Amino acid sequence: MSKPPDLMQGTLDLLLLKIIALEPQHGWAISQRLGQVSGRELQVSDGSLYPALHKLELAGWITAEWKTGELGRRAKFYTLTPAGRDRLEQETEEWRRLSSAIARVLRVKEV
Amino acid sequence: MRRWMYAFRARLRALVRRKHEDSNLNDELAFHLAMQARANQAGGMGRFEAERQARLQLGGLEQTKERTRDVRPLRATETFLQDIRYAVRLLRRSPGFAAVALLTLALGIGANTAIFSIVNGVILRPLPYPNPDRLMFLTTQFRPIFMQFWVSPPEYMEFQELNRSFASVGAFATGESNLTAGDAPRRVRTAFVDEHLLKALGISAARGRLFAPGETDTTARPGAPGPPPTAAVAILSHELWQTAFGARPIVGERVEIDGRRREVIGIMPPGADVMDNRTEVWLPLGLNRANRQNRGNHYLYLVGRLNDDVTQQAAEAELNDLMRQWSGRVGNNLHTFGMAGDGSQGHLLQMEPLQEEILGGARQSIWVLQAAVGLVLLIACANLANLLLARAETRQREFAVRTAIGAGRGRLLQQFVIEGVVLSVAGGALGVALARVGVQWIVRAFPNSLPRTTEIGIDPFVLIFTLAVASMCGVLFGLAPFMQTKVKSLAAALKDGGAKGGTDATRHHLRRGLVVAEVALAVMLVAGAGLLVRTVYNLTRVDAGFDRSRLVTFELTLPQARYPQAPGRAQVYQSILDKLRVLPEVQGATAMSGLPPSRPVNANSTTLEGYTPKPGDTAIVDYYQTVGSAYFETMGIPIVLGRSFQPIDSATPGAVAIVNETLVNTFWKGQNPIGRRLRPCCSDQTPWLTVIGVAKDVKQGGVDQKTGSELYFFLDETAAAAAPIGFAPQTMNVVVRTALPLTALSPVIDRVVRETDPTVPIVRLRDMDGVFAESIRRPRLLAQLIGGFAALALLLAAIGTYGLLSYMVAERRREIGIRLALGSDRASVLTQVMTQGLVLTVAGLLIGLAGSFGVTRLLSSLLFGVEPTDPATMAAVMATIVAVAMVACWLPAWRASRLDPIVALRDE
Repeated sequence: MSKPPDLMQGTLDLLLLKIIALEPQHGWAISQRLGQVSGRELQVSDGSLYPALHKLELAGWITAEWKTGELGRRAKFYTLTPAGRDRLEQETEEWRRLSSAIARVLRVKEV
Repeated sequence: MRRWMYAFRARLRALVRRKHEDSNLNDELAFHLAMQARANQAGGMGRFEAERQARLQLGGLEQTKERTRDVRPLRATETFLQDIRYAVRLLRRSPGFAAVALLTLALGIGANTAIFSIVNGVILRPLPYPNPDRLMFLTTQFRPIFMQFWVSPPEYMEFQELNRSFASVGAFATGESNLTAGDAPRRVRTAFVDEHLLKALGISAARGRLFAPGETDTTARPGAPGPPPTAAVAILSHELWQTAFGARPIVGERVEIDGRRREVIGIMPPGADVMDNRTEVWLPLGLNRANRQNRGNHYLYLVGRLNDDVTQQAAEAELNDLMRQWSGRVGNNLHTFGMAGDGSQGHLLQMEPLQEEILGGARQSIWVLQAAVGLVLLIACANLANLLLARAETRQREFAVRTAIGAGRGRLLQQFVIEGVVLSVAGGALGVALARVGVQWIVRAFPNSLPRTTEIGIDPFVLIFTLAVASMCGVLFGLAPFMQTKVKSLAAALKDGGAKGGTDATRHHLRRGLVVAEVALAVMLVAGAGLLVRTVYNLTRVDAGFDRSRLVTFELTLPQARYPQAPGRAQVYQSILDKLRVLPEVQGATAMSGLPPSRPVNANSTTLEGYTPKPGDTAIVDYYQTVGSAYFETMGIPIVLGRSFQPIDSATPGAVAIVNETLVNTFWKGQNPIGRRLRPCCSDQTPWLTVIGVAKDVKQGGVDQKTGSELYFFLDETAAAAAPIGFAPQTMNVVVRTALPLTALSPVIDRVVRETDPTVPIVRLRDMDGVFAESIRRPRLLAQLIGGFAALALLLAAIGTYGLLSYMVAERRREIGIRLALGSDRASVLTQVMTQGLVLTVAGLLIGLAGSFGVTRLLSSLLFGVEPTDPATMAAVMATIVAVAMVACWLPAWRASRLDPIVALRDE
């Protein structure tokens, strides 16, 4: 099985914001959800997941709350803050511009 | 802006509730692992495998925790504090190690702090005047004899008028005075100044006022006998006002100084002084501005303040121009400035920054001290690096475990350095305490050996220096173990039995190198100390020309106001000498105007029969000495030709004189001086004296200096004679030859002087050995301090050698045990271990000796009677080093040879 490609710098934040935007999630679920949604193409290594989540939290894009999760255990659920929602839109827009620009370049026919 | 609220809350939580956040992180990751394990199990794994895979997927639980914590705010500060706490805990757990390390550091850093506070107070700190770099010290030169000489009043006044470079130029002379405060007379240090000097220095009064313009000039017409009378005013130093007058309001009151009542017009601010004179009383100088005679009467020092836009070079250029035109501009051809044709008798005016002049020769001595303590500190650091290396090896397992649970190499480095810095800063704090005591001791033990001692102290700048030095040391010896530590895999370290790292041979290279370096540094210090000790020994062994054993001396000053006439003064001296002579324990007593071996030069132009000086030149006799009866007999100065003064000389007409060998060799070489005549300074009316004897040379101006020419006057005779030769000094040094110790004689002298005149203080009562010790105080200071530092260096190097050998022996216990068990000879074990240590010592010794040849050359100007490469000293140094090394090596070697093989083998 080939390893999923490393995520481009900065895109992990965008993806995490997006997944959390779908619904408040705990870390493990976020990682699972990312795998599912991307059709196993994108995988965040578990070791990078938590530092990234904590960074987003410290930046104020997401906030967290302790609730009872599966297995009846305490789990930390992350929610988007209003600022995070704005940030997500902004970054999504950025990403679209960037990817369409790349796509345009790649469409140029070779002579 | 809501975002900031969330961010702020999260950051605050991370900072304030650090423990809580940690446990939350644990829970969060534990939950993740549980979920992942469940998922893995669902995928068909066994329970244990599922959990293991979950941990692997996470990339290690502890590593992930560490990386997550790393994103927290102020993470660097947090780990920093954590490392400090850890380092302190570690030190507390091994108090023996901590004590040795702290003591070593405290000594090393303390010595550096103490000496640096001297460097700071004496050399670096600017003089306590406004814009002190503008101040120049001006003196004259009479080549080639007196490279630094006083200025005469006419020269001073002319320079004041001619120069354009200086904003103001003032003059001063220094001396001592009898001050009557309360019922006990006391001797105080006096500066005679004019108002221009105070202006040049920029001093203003703390209370009252300073001298007004014209107030410092003489009040008498010129030509009156005795020192020029001045306005009856005085200014007191802050310190004298505190100690002698209890800081009571005194401005406007009168005090008695040298028998004359003077009004105190002002109090100086604390620390105000001129040329490090430690002035207590400031008196008017008493120049007569109308009188430009007596060009040869040199007794002034000048201090000038340069104009703001004039450099020292420009001022010197102007001065050189001035000297060329001097005669023409002042309308005087005699005794003005300029180079003589053959360069032998150039009379020049010269300038030097005031601070340079105050420092004098002390600068080099102080830097030598600083260099020496620097070496001591290097040795201390090498020792600590070695200690930490040894400890690092026993901590391999700890490092491996820490790496395994997420500490990066950078984090380990940070921890090493912090451990080093924690040690060295604690050591530094102890060192500052030691330095405080040390500096006080140095200043007390060597009060006059250094200039500006009142300004030596531990100030914030010194503390910054100490902190910097301590931190640098910490980083240095903190790095050493890090370079050595190649963190092995957890498995390897744990398998190794954990306690120790591998024992490959190359591992000891660094540690051996450190010990060799320590020995080499110690050798250099010991060599320097050896040379300086030899210097002091040589200085004490110089033949001063008289017998200085069992000789007690003190100084008497009879104030002009109370004893205006020479015969009256001579009578007091004679009466005191007579009373002393009849004491049963006293073999002899006499008096002299200038006390050898370090009296100031009082060079005088002298006319000598049968000697014709070069044109435009005069014969200068370096010392005029007025002596009491039985002088040569009491002092034990041999008369090599003719006879000494006899009581009859004072009654017979015609004055007589005695000269020393140097005078004869200088002016009457190869002639018989007896019966020749000479005429002392300073006028044509002075009668001729007939030479009746030649005395052996006495060291007057320093035991390490060439003997000057000397002319002896007989007090009994000169005091009774008419002017201008009629003369009795106001200050005489009494000497008493006695078997009694100083303490026993002191009350007797006190009684005798009191009986004669209770207002005359006894000053500087001490034995002649003390006078000699005082005369070589700077070499003694250097020899004693450097000697102390060398001993410390030697001790540290010995501890270093001992420590390394002990460690190597401990490491080889098993091997030695096996060899002993197999029948190896105990003696051969002992030899082998000792050889190991001595090889290091010899290597260090050779490197150190090579270094010494370079280093000691820098000392050569501080040495006397010994070459920087003196073979005897070097041999003694080698013997000392080898002897100390033998002891240091023998202990571990002996312990190795006594090893019980059974115990050694069972240990492992």
